[in-house]
Amino acid sequence: MSPSARWLQILGLAVLGAGLPGLDFGAPLGWLSAGLLLLAALKLAEARSLQERRLVSLLTLIGCGVQGAQQPELLPSVLQLLGTGLALAGLLALEVGAGLSWRALLRRSLTVLVAALPMALLLFLLVPRLDPLWTAPNLQGSGAAVTGLSADLDPGSIASLANDEAPAARVSFSGNTPPDPQGRYWRVIVHERFDGRRWSRLDEPATAAVPQATPPGSAEGAATPSQVWLAEPSPVQALPWAGTGQGSPSQLRVSPGGELRRQLPGRERLAYLLRDVDRPQPWQQRPPTLVDLTLPVGSNPQLEALGERWRALPQPEQRLAAAEAWFTSQNFRYSRTPGVLPARQGLDVFLFERREGFCGHYASAFTALMRAAGVPARVVSGYLGGRWVQPLGGTPYLDLRQSDAHAWSEVWLPNRGWQRVDPSAWVGASASNPAGAARSAAGPVNLQGWRRGIQWLQWQWWGLDLAWNRWWLGFDQASQEALLERLFGDQRQGLGLVLLGGAGSLLALGIGWLQWLQAPARGDRLDRDLRAVIRRLQQAGIEPAPGETFEQLCLRAGERLPASREALQELGRCHRLLRFARLEPTARARHWAAWRTALRSLQRSPKSTL
Amino acid sequence: MASRPLQPLITAIGRVLLGKEEPVKLALACLLARGHLLIEDLPGMGKTTLAEALARGFGLSFKRVSFTSDLLPADLTGINVFDAANTRFHFQPGPLFSQVLLADEINRASPRTQSALLEAMAAGRVSVDGVSHPLPQPFLVIATQNGIDQVGTAPLPESQLDRFLMRLSLGFPNREAERALLSGAALPPASLEPISNPAGLLELQGQAAAQHCSTALLDYVLDLAAFSRRGDQPGPGLSPRACQGLVAAARAWSLLEGRDHVTPTDVQAVLPAVANHRLQRDAAALLAGVDGLR
Repeated sequence: MSPSARWLQILGLAVLGAGLPGLDFGAPLGWLSAGLLLLAALKLAEARSLQERRLVSLLTLIGCGVQGAQQPELLPSVLQLLGTGLALAGLLALEVGAGLSWRALLRRSLTVLVAALPMALLLFLLVPRLDPLWTAPNLQGSGAAVTGLSADLDPGSIASLANDEAPAARVSFSGNTPPDPQGRYWRVIVHERFDGRRWSRLDEPATAAVPQATPPGSAEGAATPSQVWLAEPSPVQALPWAGTGQGSPSQLRVSPGGELRRQLPGRERLAYLLRDVDRPQPWQQRPPTLVDLTLPVGSNPQLEALGERWRALPQPEQRLAAAEAWFTSQNFRYSRTPGVLPARQGLDVFLFERREGFCGHYASAFTALMRAAGVPARVVSGYLGGRWVQPLGGTPYLDLRQSDAHAWSEVWLPNRGWQRVDPSAWVGASASNPAGAARSAAGPVNLQGWRRGIQWLQWQWWGLDLAWNRWWLGFDQASQEALLERLFGDQRQGLGLVLLGGAGSLLALGIGWLQWLQAPARGDRLDRDLRAVIRRLQQAGIEPAPGETFEQLCLRAGERLPASREALQELGRCHRLLRFARLEPTARARHWAAWRTALRSLQRSPKSTL
Repeated sequence: MASRPLQPLITAIGRVLLGKEEPVKLALACLLARGHLLIEDLPGMGKTTLAEALARGFGLSFKRVSFTSDLLPADLTGINVFDAANTRFHFQPGPLFSQVLLADEINRASPRTQSALLEAMAAGRVSVDGVSHPLPQPFLVIATQNGIDQVGTAPLPESQLDRFLMRLSLGFPNREAERALLSGAALPPASLEPISNPAGLLELQGQAAAQHCSTALLDYVLDLAAFSRRGDQPGPGLSPRACQGLVAAARAWSLLEGRDHVTPTDVQAVLPAVANHRLQRDAAALLAGVDGLR
């Protein structure tokens, strides 16, 4: 039974529709994509003539292209490829009429796609990348309740930490080796404002600083180590990063405080590539402001008194050391279920009565102490550690879950800039540092049976996803600039001509290849196999007699080689049927299978018996 | 595996004409391909027996004419005879109006008579005094000629030879067969029971014409023809009619082999019979010169 063109087109539209939820409707392209789909669906509903139904396929193809420009990730790409294939198959079924089998339709559609591949590659390599021209103004608070880090940190109000295993982000490294556990701090949000209980973000004019357009033409493009990130949707605009690096795509910005931000609020997953840089980032050297010293007077009197004592020490480093000594001497315990702190003087209660809490408590209390001691400090929340996952044959990566969320402090040291201090590490490293080597060795903890299997599958898929993203993100604006520089030097005005000429000739090449494929009189596969059999027989000393037919040769050879007689007879029979008989497709497939089986058996038989 | 529809007939004829299975099969293929047969052989080799056996096997009417130099065309076709009772002419059919005609020693007749026979063979009808009479169907002419005793003969020109689909030679039987013949094991043709009827033969002929010929097979035939027409080969090569006949004979042969498609092996089996009298040389060189591995 051959599939009808109409159903193929409906399927193609359905696949295209499946890609819609991931689109960003803040940008005009999203609406264009949805509009195209609607148009195609309406056209399909009312189409009567061949021309109209051709138009449906054309609209589907354009829709796939527009979606592809917006969603280059792996899953959408697979969907777009499927949609393109279905649209082409629908077109083919329209033109050829019924009678083509599924397999033939699929094969022909794929052939057309393959023929277009060289041109696509040329365009991918040479068409200049453009900054997004259509970034819409920031739509603040897109409201989706996605789990993750929150903009406000109030550890005192949290009785116990939920063990939320939802994925947060994944990152792969160009060297395929993970950073050492000490280096696995991934900063996301910087909390600078403190009201005595709650830490909140200082919403500085978003994204004043740009991670800079990369120096074009530098050879470092491919050589510098890089990281590819895949961040899950989050209500905050900030993205996890290691704190250094220059980014791609170019809509990434770094805030003065050191947050990596996307320009558009993120309801969809974002992939980005960061190239490592050696020089310190501007945010690390940015002097503290008054906000970084602000501590509401009287909110936690005991804490303030303790901090005041350290003010006597002349150097900030000494005050820091005093704080560390004090924390380690005071019998603090790490606990994920410390209970709620009172609303007033919560940090006093934590520091001097309960002495148990999680990272948020320690970061919060330590930062407040430092401010009381006159050292500019702030709280940073982000992720710590992660599991190092090695997918089958894929790129290894670090899997960050929401349960890897962590909070630590940064203090300003003159001459050294902002320095990371993790007070949780002072109070029992194994508990406060749940990631790192110990965790990754344990593997998928407390997961049973099928859930473990599902997690395994998820890891494999993410591995593929990352490898894909590494591939297309790896060739970013900078790499392209380098390539263009190498190809054209300063003669950039020839690029347009080269593009046009190259695309045209590659298209002609593809079409020529398609034509060549359809030319019937050529050494076909059966013929190639037949020559292989003859070569094999010649190795055994059996030469074809002049004018002999293949079946006669096989029979004659079978007499000489009793061990292979059956295979040879089968070869002769199958060749005769495949070449000269009129066969139904199923019978043809059966004889092909028998032909290949006999061929393998002949080729596997040792030369001595041959 | 497909059955061989005519194997019983071949076996039965084999009991009448001992040790001649190959020529019998070729003759049968010629019959199925709607062609005519020329047997070139010495007297007493079983030509008449073969013709009679073929005719009886399908229940066909059989006549035999010994060609002599004074044989006239009208002796073959028949004449209009005056019917005194009804005072008008009516057509008295000659021996041509049978389904199997054995034309013995065809090269002894005058060219005029030969030509009349060949015209009738080609056209399938006979015109007498301006009236056209269709010949019976199926219609098979088996002509014989003696290749050795050439005195007083008019050998068929090549253009006439081309009208015969096949030329066969029965040849001497082998020793075994001849001993059996002498010991009286051979049955008379009259004892042959028909295994089919003329309608059945027409159906088989239709079936043979519908056998599948793939492009690859036609290419093989064309390569053979091209090779025969090459400058370094003697003679003019195979005519398009010869190629048509080759394909038709190969189709019939594949039907006898119990297949529904034609292969190069079939072409090779019938090629000597089809091509030898047209090329005036042995077709084996042709077979050896064209690659059969395809």
